[in-house]
Amino acid sequence: MKKILPLIFTALAVIFAGCAKEHHEAVIVAGSTSVQPYAEVLAEAFAHIRPDILVDIQGGGSSAGIMAVDTSVADIGMSSRLLKDSEKWMWHVEFARDGLAIILHPDNPVENFTIEQLRGIYAAEITNWKDLGGKDARIHVITREEGSGTRAAFEELVMDGKFITPRAIVQASNGAVRQLVSNDKNSIGFISLGLVDRTVKAASLGGVAASRENITDESYSLYRPFLFITNGAPEGDAKIFIDFALSPEGQRILSLEGLVEGMNP
Amino acid sequence: MDYKIKIEAFKFFYGREQVINGIDLNIPKNGIFSLLGPAKSGITTMLRAVNRLSDIVPGARMEGSILLDGKNINDADVNVAELRRRVGIVFDVPAPLPMSVYENVAFGPKLLKKGKAEIRALVEESLQTAALWDDVKDRLNTPAQSLSGGQQQRLCIARVLALKPEVILLDRPCSGLDPISTAKIEESLIQLKELYTIVIAPHNVQQAVRISDRAAFMLSGDLIEEGANTEIFSNPVHKRTSDYITGRFG
Amino acid sequence: MSKYVFFILALSSISALALITIFIISRGAPIIGEVGFFDFVFGMTWAPGRGEYGIFPMIVGSVTVTLGAAALGVPIGICCSIFMTEFAPAALRNFFRPAIQLLAGIPSVVYGFWGLIFIVPLIREYLGGPGLSILAGAVILAIMILPTVISITEVSILALPPEYKAGAMALGLNHWQAIKTVLLPAAKSGIVAAVILGIGRAIGETMAVIMVLGNAVALPQSILDPVRTLTTNIGIEMGYASGTQSQALFATGIVLFAVIMLLNAAAQFITRKK
Repeated sequence: MKKILPLIFTALAVIFAGCAKEHHEAVIVAGSTSVQPYAEVLAEAFAHIRPDILVDIQGGGSSAGIMAVDTSVADIGMSSRLLKDSEKWMWHVEFARDGLAIILHPDNPVENFTIEQLRGIYAAEITNWKDLGGKDARIHVITREEGSGTRAAFEELVMDGKFITPRAIVQASNGAVRQLVSNDKNSIGFISLGLVDRTVKAASLGGVAASRENITDESYSLYRPFLFITNGAPEGDAKIFIDFALSPEGQRILSLEGLVEGMNP
Repeated sequence: MDYKIKIEAFKFFYGREQVINGIDLNIPKNGIFSLLGPAKSGITTMLRAVNRLSDIVPGARMEGSILLDGKNINDADVNVAELRRRVGIVFDVPAPLPMSVYENVAFGPKLLKKGKAEIRALVEESLQTAALWDDVKDRLNTPAQSLSGGQQQRLCIARVLALKPEVILLDRPCSGLDPISTAKIEESLIQLKELYTIVIAPHNVQQAVRISDRAAFMLSGDLIEEGANTEIFSNPVHKRTSDYITGRFG
Repeated sequence: MSKYVFFILALSSISALALITIFIISRGAPIIGEVGFFDFVFGMTWAPGRGEYGIFPMIVGSVTVTLGAAALGVPIGICCSIFMTEFAPAALRNFFRPAIQLLAGIPSVVYGFWGLIFIVPLIREYLGGPGLSILAGAVILAIMILPTVISITEVSILALPPEYKAGAMALGLNHWQAIKTVLLPAAKSGIVAAVILGIGRAIGETMAVIMVLGNAVALPQSILDPVRTLTTNIGIEMGYASGTQSQALFATGIVLFAVIMLLNAAAQFITRKK
């Protein structure tokens, strides 16, 4: 009897483990690190109404996420940029918009830019704050790394073909950019509007403040589409999650987090 | 008799450990004086105390006095660097400085800021006296490390001589050397004793017998006996002295 | 029987080295061929998005940060060793030695984080510039290589026969003069080995410096400018690189490999000569 008991327990464990696996195979959501925090908030709320569906959020960048969906490694891809032509065959929905805020240190006297000035700063044609009405100090330009969706959006919306200066400081996440700007009085950076907090201030563009209303009516032109992407029309648990994101409850949660509603179909 | 060095009621401590237990010793001017005894008798410590090299050991402490030409070497107004030039020392391990042969011997005089010509003369003279000149006169600029053990030791003697000392201390200078090198060194010492006070700790009794004029026997920090060569080696007073000399222990 | 087991185990570590080497070279070599060796190593522009793969600014970054670390860390390390071997009382020595070993145990990422919070704002405040700079990297790395420099220098000095110092002092030098004129030159080859090993460690560091260097791709013009090293370039772009860009990163790895192997060979040669 003593020898059989452990054997029985092991067998039971294996059977139950198999059962567990069957019910709780996670929905894998991968892609943009910009979208990731918002997807995680959605997933947390989602877990309350559908505790049987496990949603697993991973980062990796917009390009990596799209590739993961393409190769069926992930169920849902997150992207903070529009799809390239070669990617447009995949199913996608803009579930929110993320304003792109230009952030400065709260003590910086400068508060407004034109797009041309912004472009000039990032192309290192304008190098001193005094040329913009600020202090006599060198501008410390901060950008994201090359594979960043946020950076790609910035380049597309602002730079108009000019290159971001190679002398710019590169940081690998929105949070790092914000922290740097909050500590350096002479710096300028760009992050998700939703991540702007009291440690930094968002500049206005051409007199238009960076706010949710101004993004919805598109008077503030710097914003990114947040997309969910699937390989073919969404089905099963993945569809349930995406539907939740697009539902009034999901949209309410997202707007509490600082996102703007997207142009959902 | 003219005493070059007088050691009076001398005690030495390393921290709490006492290694010399009150020694009275008089060393006459010129001649070879041997300090004999088994290991750990305090001989090295005694030697190094005479030119205050013992100062560099942390926790070193002494009582009593050592007089050089009647003056206490531990007085506050004594210039230690100058003392060490007057009382030179040669160690048991040849320790040539990491330089050329010439540089080694010139090292001391250079510190005294002597002129180039004077230094050159000093170097040659010292090497001659140390019976090394013939060996090295053609390779004065080769590294001192390239000499043999016996030659390195003679180099160390030359180095000391270049400072024109009055006393030369030698701590087992021939340990590890072959008999021929040993003989050459002993020969040099016998010639040097006319002009210098030589205090040597020989590495065996036979060496002391060969070269000393006077000798003292130390055991475990105590001075057991001292006397002229003729007395102490043939007719020692204490049994322990004769036991050591005849090799019954060592 | 056990002889064969040991042999196979030894082989496995060599084969790991061989595998990594072959992997890196096979991934990286084609792009060096494509871009051209000189354009790759001496090219001034790194912009993979536009197909430009020049790593010269990164080479300059690595060299300046490492040399800066050596310039700061080596003198401090040597002085520390001299203090410990020649001047410190035993109690202080027994406190210092494990404390320095502790320095070696701190993970690189913790160094980087501390540098970001403490050193970078200091530089920004008192010296100017964004604070993320060659100088910040050099300071962090200087601290990181201290244990290496100190312990090897200490061993070299302790290995000298005590008669060297005694002999010098017996000729009339005081303690400090004896150290300067005799001990240091005698311990020279050990000290040089310590320096080279320290530099080797500094060049390979990634995590400690990635947070404090600023990662700008342009050629730096002063020590207060942000910069990228060969290692941090790989570290930053690895996450999203693909295709040609990923090959270029492997090629950077080849360059790093070559540099570190050269340094190790130099260190071995110098210590053997003793």
